[in-house]
Amino acid sequence: MSATTAENKVAVASQRQLIWWRFRKHKLALVSAFIVAAFYLVAMFADTIAYTEPFDTQSARSYIPPQPITWFDADGHFHPTVNALKGKRDPRTFKLSYAPDPGETRDLVLFGHGYEYRLFGLIPTDIHLLGVSNSRPQDALFLLGTDQLGRDVFSRLVLASRTSLTIGLVGVVMSLVLGVLLGGISGLYGGWIDVVIQRVIEILRSIPTIPLWMGLAAAVPNSWTPQQVYFVITLIISLIGWTELARVVRGRFLALREEDFITAAELAGASQMRIIFKHMVPSFLSHIIAAVSLALPAMIISETTLSFLGLGLRPPAISWGVLLQDAQNLQTLALAPWLLVVALPVIVVILAFNFLGDGLRDAADPYG
Amino acid sequence: MPNLSRPHLSRRGLLATLAASPVAMALLTEAARAADLAASGLVGELQGPTMITDPAKWPTKFQEAPMLAERVKAGKLPPVAERIPAEPMVWQPLNETGKYGGTWRRAFTGPGDVENANRINASDKCFFWSADGSKIVPCVAKAYELSDDGKTYTMHLRKGMKWSDGSPFTADDFVFWFEDIYGNKEIVPTPTTDMSPQGKPGRIVKVDEVTVRFEFDVPYYLFEEMMAGDTLIGGGQSVRQSQKLSFGAYSPGHYLKQFLPKYSSLEEVNARAKKEGFENWLQMLHFKKDWSLNTELPTLGPWKTVQSINNPIWLLERNPFYYAIDTAGNQLPYMDKVQLTLGENLEVINLRAMAGDYDEQERHIDISKLPVLLDNQDKGNYKVHLDLGFAGSDFILQINQSYKADPEIRKWLTNADFRRALSLGIDRDQLNDTFWLGVGTPGSPVPGESMPQNPGPEWRKKWSVLDVRQANAMLDKIGLAKKDSAGFRVRTDNGERLRIQIVAIQAFMPFPKMSEMVGDQWQKIGIQADVREMERNLATTRVRNNETHIYTWNNGGTELLYLFPRHAIPVDPTEAYMGPEYANYYASGGTQGMKPDDPNILRIWELFTEAAGLKAEGRNHNAQEIWKILADQQYGIGTVGQSPAGLGVRLVSNKLGNIASRVCNAQHCRTPGNSHAETWYFKA
Repeated sequence: MSATTAENKVAVASQRQLIWWRFRKHKLALVSAFIVAAFYLVAMFADTIAYTEPFDTQSARSYIPPQPITWFDADGHFHPTVNALKGKRDPRTFKLSYAPDPGETRDLVLFGHGYEYRLFGLIPTDIHLLGVSNSRPQDALFLLGTDQLGRDVFSRLVLASRTSLTIGLVGVVMSLVLGVLLGGISGLYGGWIDVVIQRVIEILRSIPTIPLWMGLAAAVPNSWTPQQVYFVITLIISLIGWTELARVVRGRFLALREEDFITAAELAGASQMRIIFKHMVPSFLSHIIAAVSLALPAMIISETTLSFLGLGLRPPAISWGVLLQDAQNLQTLALAPWLLVVALPVIVVILAFNFLGDGLRDAADPYG
Repeated sequence: MPNLSRPHLSRRGLLATLAASPVAMALLTEAARAADLAASGLVGELQGPTMITDPAKWPTKFQEAPMLAERVKAGKLPPVAERIPAEPMVWQPLNETGKYGGTWRRAFTGPGDVENANRINASDKCFFWSADGSKIVPCVAKAYELSDDGKTYTMHLRKGMKWSDGSPFTADDFVFWFEDIYGNKEIVPTPTTDMSPQGKPGRIVKVDEVTVRFEFDVPYYLFEEMMAGDTLIGGGQSVRQSQKLSFGAYSPGHYLKQFLPKYSSLEEVNARAKKEGFENWLQMLHFKKDWSLNTELPTLGPWKTVQSINNPIWLLERNPFYYAIDTAGNQLPYMDKVQLTLGENLEVINLRAMAGDYDEQERHIDISKLPVLLDNQDKGNYKVHLDLGFAGSDFILQINQSYKADPEIRKWLTNADFRRALSLGIDRDQLNDTFWLGVGTPGSPVPGESMPQNPGPEWRKKWSVLDVRQANAMLDKIGLAKKDSAGFRVRTDNGERLRIQIVAIQAFMPFPKMSEMVGDQWQKIGIQADVREMERNLATTRVRNNETHIYTWNNGGTELLYLFPRHAIPVDPTEAYMGPEYANYYASGGTQGMKPDDPNILRIWELFTEAAGLKAEGRNHNAQEIWKILADQQYGIGTVGQSPAGLGVRLVSNKLGNIASRVCNAQHCRTPGNSHAETWYFKA
């Protein structure tokens, strides 16, 4: 391709194409996009990927360490199996120990049967991505071990990701809409509307969130499930959280409304809404994208933090924060360090979101 | 919003594929568990020092700690023979005569944890319990008589006994407490029922310097137990006059008079309060009579505060006038100091304990860390003891009998067969294995078989074994046969799933996790349990507002029912998880709260009220009757008890001597109070 044709191609390309080309160049962001997508895919099919009902307790399965998989049989054929386990509590040390029973193995199968659930809340099924032959998965399969109550860590981790990855989304979207709308109005009109909105923002920003969180958690009706409580609190927090975005948007509006192309649009008789959404918003889209891609991981972290502190989600709800809270004691470190594995997806997804945001911000402003 | 609640739970599909479980770990039988526990070498025999009550065997020559001998030499203290009462408490230590010196290092969790050292100072009680917790023994007072009609209780003090400042301790100190502290409405607005049997207030009268008489208008045979128990009247100065409490039968009048308006004037004491930085005289008094805050306060226990509890280190030092000696004539305690170091959370305390940072610690030690604690025994140079308790259930599900917010829920909570079915649906062996590491005893909430109020061994299992079939049959029969598509029973009023809420807070044991396990087990009987983990204050408010269905706690203290009834029956509104409105009714004499329509609760109250006027045998009979009703009615569903879970995992440094292999772990024993730490010593 000659330089001229390439230039021509750029000249006639649509904004969307330009963004994509630019984004493609940011390799880290591209990989991160796949990671984030994979996480959300897991969240979407959480029940299918998990193989054990996350609340199924059994003392005889307490603190089983992660289970190794034997991938090939004695003849070297691909034939994944897991060993049955023999457990006992030492009467002197009170420690539980599990030894593989070499005589008894279970075949690992794809699309095996497990607990019943509804896929997407609609289709009843009991097919799970992984299963074992001749036995219930909750008795035989412990890929990442079990916790004190004998619940499978892998399944709980997968189901927790659904809570942790989705519950903040609504809050972020709401913050975004409110922030752009109110910030836009404030910046565009100025005058007394601007003064009122700015003072409201200042008041809202002065409210400390942790006491608010504690108060709200105590005030909600007794009959709500922990998820409902958390969801509503997230909404309320997002009603406060829009302020930062609104400030930035207002600033951009103040700058942009003096620009010639806005004056041109006004003279051409475009409506206010058209001016805002067609002309002004795209010109600071990059900033909004950056804000959102940073707000999402912030939401995930705040869920994890608050649950870890015992203020957010509480068991029996499962989220990354709740699972981490389970791991914050001595006996976990000494006897069951595999419970700490929860920290891994938190780190990975937060990093991925940040790289993705970085890439998107660069790409959204292809002329920049 | 995705569906985040429990996935679809029907187990039909699973049962079809059910094969032998590949995780083979048989739950142990009870006999095997007992044998294992014996083999572990962690559970010893109840033992302690021996009290020598025959004056002929008392020593006549006395020795004292080197740190006190120095003070005597400097003329700051009278000689030891003058400091010890003419009638001292004489101990023959458990193993050998100890050596003086050393600092006992221990952990506490902050100003709220005053009970930590109240308990090791518990020999400031008038009477106490023997090492096995079964008999009342002398303590500050040397003897008592109860008149035949049960209306007069005469107590004999030790001749020549002194406060920690050297002033005489006499009958006047009881009269002072009764008239000037307890009798002052500003200090004690609500008198205690401990002093008012059947609502009729009793009196304290001085007979002579060493004789005090308690007079009542109605027979009050129970009073002898009240004086020995951890009650408002018998608890002793440390626990009953700290934290703004003003009970406990005696006070150092010679010291406290200066803070009371009666002995000067209101203006004068208020002016003094202002000068010392208090709002008023009452606030000043509450500070001055609190042994954990005021280092000047005269006390009777083995150690007194020299650095208050509001510090990172709460430091206690020997009481030079302590009234106990050993058989060799050494004034006790052996150890010079007790140093309680602040540990903000339990993880920190347990970690330090494993490093050998504490010489003896049973409080705040977590049973679920037992394997790790045992692993570190050599490194930390300590030994682990398991002191089994006597209370029936260290995790009990109290079913709110006065709940009324939802008539459908009320109907079931107050239905005996419903409660029994819930109890039959619990797999106690699973709980025992997971949370008690198998060392507890599963069963109903009745106290241990060795206790005098145990109704008989057959009541341990009453409605308290796993029987899913019977539970399902009972639930079907009472009208809950209909189930929803997921297999859960539905309400009879609107056909929606019947949801029973369990409120659990993180305390003593991981109650929320235990509740989760129970909830999982109840699926098999078609009962949906919603576990709500809450912060403690919020949960308490919900209980007081009568909003809970089921509340989880332990039933500690109920092994001697009359001394601590609130964990078993609804009589005390401070804690009445089984029916707060009923407790209000009882405590207010019927003017507040709700009158129970359940004849069994009225019968319990009748037996309980009557017991105060009965002699020991009759009282214990009444308690047994109450326990039979409780086990049969299942107002509180017992799970696993008589375990070391609360205050029973004891770490003791190998440097300490005269340590009991098992300590009485019970509320009335003030664990480790009645093992008398004043007789422990550092071997090297």
